[in-house]
Amino acid sequence: MSWTRSARAVLAFALLVLLHYTIRPFLGWRTPVDFLVIAVLLSAVRVRPGAAALIGFTTGLVADSLTPSAFGAGALAMTAVGAAASWLKAVFFADNVVLHGFFFFVGKWAFDIVYVTAERRMHGVELATQILLWSPLSAAATAIAGVVLLLMLRPVLEPQAA
Amino acid sequence: MARAVRSGTRVDTVLLVACCVMALLATVLPLNLREAIAGGLRRTVVAPLVSLQEQAVRGRSAFLSRDETTSRLDSVALRNMQLARLETENERLRALLGLGRELQWGFVSAEALRIADIGEEHSRTLTVGSRVGVEPKTPVLAPEGLVGMVRTVDPNSSIAILWTHSDFAASAMSADRSAYGIVYPHLSEAGRDEEIPPERYLLEMRGVAFRSALKPGTQIVTSGLGGVYPAGIPIGTVLGELRTSEGWARTYLVRPAVRPPDVSNVIVLLPKRIQGQSLDRVWRSTASADSAARRIAAAGDSLARRAAADSMRAAEAARRGADSAGAPVVQPGGARPVEADTTRRAPPRGDTLRPPTRRPDASEPGARP
Repeated sequence: MSWTRSARAVLAFALLVLLHYTIRPFLGWRTPVDFLVIAVLLSAVRVRPGAAALIGFTTGLVADSLTPSAFGAGALAMTAVGAAASWLKAVFFADNVVLHGFFFFVGKWAFDIVYVTAERRMHGVELATQILLWSPLSAAATAIAGVVLLLMLRPVLEPQAA
Repeated sequence: MARAVRSGTRVDTVLLVACCVMALLATVLPLNLREAIAGGLRRTVVAPLVSLQEQAVRGRSAFLSRDETTSRLDSVALRNMQLARLETENERLRALLGLGRELQWGFVSAEALRIADIGEEHSRTLTVGSRVGVEPKTPVLAPEGLVGMVRTVDPNSSIAILWTHSDFAASAMSADRSAYGIVYPHLSEAGRDEEIPPERYLLEMRGVAFRSALKPGTQIVTSGLGGVYPAGIPIGTVLGELRTSEGWARTYLVRPAVRPPDVSNVIVLLPKRIQGQSLDRVWRSTASADSAARRIAAAGDSLARRAAADSMRAAEAARRGADSAGAPVVQPGGARPVEADTTRRAPPRGDTLRPPTRRPDASEPGARP
C-alpha cells in the first residue's frame, strides 16, 4: 500500500471515528449505527490480520474508556472482528455493494455478540433479546450506513490509477 | 518466500493472541484499576472525542427541548386565543343579562345559531319557539340594539331574519324624533359620497322628509309605527346622505348598531311586551348607543348589582327617615319621586329553565378563528 493510500485510509478512519462521537449521540437511536465497527472493518481489509487485531484492540479500548464497567469487552470484540475481517477479506471484499452490506452486518452482529458475552451484564431473556433483536437491527442500520459511506468514500479509499 | 509468509503469519498470530489476552485481562481487572486506565484514556487520548460526544448530546438535548419549548409556546398562544374568545363571549353575555334586567319582563333569551347553508347567512335559528310564547314578527334584540325579526316559529325553535336580509324593514326615526323614515338593508354601492367608506353591512333610511336633514352621527331608533317594533330600539347611526333620484324625500346611509358576526345570544320580545310599549327607558341615553350598551353591560355585572343594591338600601333607609318627617319620596339619585308600579309584575322567565345547549356552529377549542 502506497503512502498516499495509507494517508487516505487513515483520513477515512479518523472521519468515521468522528462520526461515531458526533452523529451517533446526536441521533440517539435505540439501534445506533456503529461507525467504529465500520472504521475497523474498512481498515482491517487493508492490513494484515495482526495489524487489524491491533487496530481493533486500540479502537475498542478507546470505546471502552467511556464505559468502564465493560472495560475490555469492546477491545476483545473489536480485536476479534478486525482479525476475522482481515483473514476473510479475500472472501468478502469483492466489489459488490450487497456483499459489502452483508460484511458490515455480520461484522457488527459478531461484535455485539462478543461484546455482550464478554461484558457478562445481561442474562437470559435480556441477553437473547439483545442478541436476536436489537443487535441485528443495529447491525442492519450499520450495514446501510456502511454501504452509503463506502459509496461516498470510494474515491478516497480506492483512487483510480492515473 | 514461504518462510517470510510463515513468519508473517506467526507475527499476526502472536499479535492477535496478545491483543485478545490483553483485552481479556482488561475485563477481569479490578474495578478501580479499570477506572484508572479508562480515566487516564479519557483525560488524554480520548479527551477530544469525549468533548465531541458531549457537544453532540447537548445538541440533541437542545434540539429536543426546542420542540418541547415550541409546543409549550403554541399551547400558551392557543390558550390566549381561547381566553380572548371567552372574554368576548362573557362580555356579551353580561351585556345580555343587563338588557334583560332593563327590560324586566316580556322577553325570552335565546341562542342564535348560524346556519352554514349558502344563502342563509342573513338568518339565524333561535333556540326558542312557540312553547315559550314566541310568535312570527316578534323583534329580536341584542344589547346594542335591533337584530331583526322572527319569521317562522316552531314549538322549540324559530327562524329570525337579520337586518341584512332583503325582506327586512323597520319604521324608524331620529332619536330626537325630528325625522321619520323606513330602514332597509343597503344592498348596493350606488349613490354614496366619496367620504363614506365602502362597507358590506349597512342600512339605509328611506323616505325621510326633505325638510328633515340629518347630520352624520345622528342616532336612529325604531319609531314604534307599524306595530312590529316598539319605539326606542337603537338601529344605528347616520353615516351620510345617499344621492337618489327622488326629489321629495331623502335617503340616509346608516351604520347599524349590531354587527351580524356578533349575533350569538339574543333576546326575543314577546308579543305582550310589544303592544304599545316603548323601550325608550331601556336605551335611555340614545344619544350615545355605546354608552348605553356599556351601561346595560354594567347592569349585568354582579358587582354593579351589589353596589346598586347597597345604594337602594341606603335610599330605603333615607326614605323611611323622610316618611317619618313627612318629606316626599325620592330615588337614590334624588332625581324624581318613585312611582310604585302595581300594575304588573315580572313573570318568571321561561328561559331560566332551558337546559344549556351547545351551539353547533361554535368553533372547537383550538380552531382558528
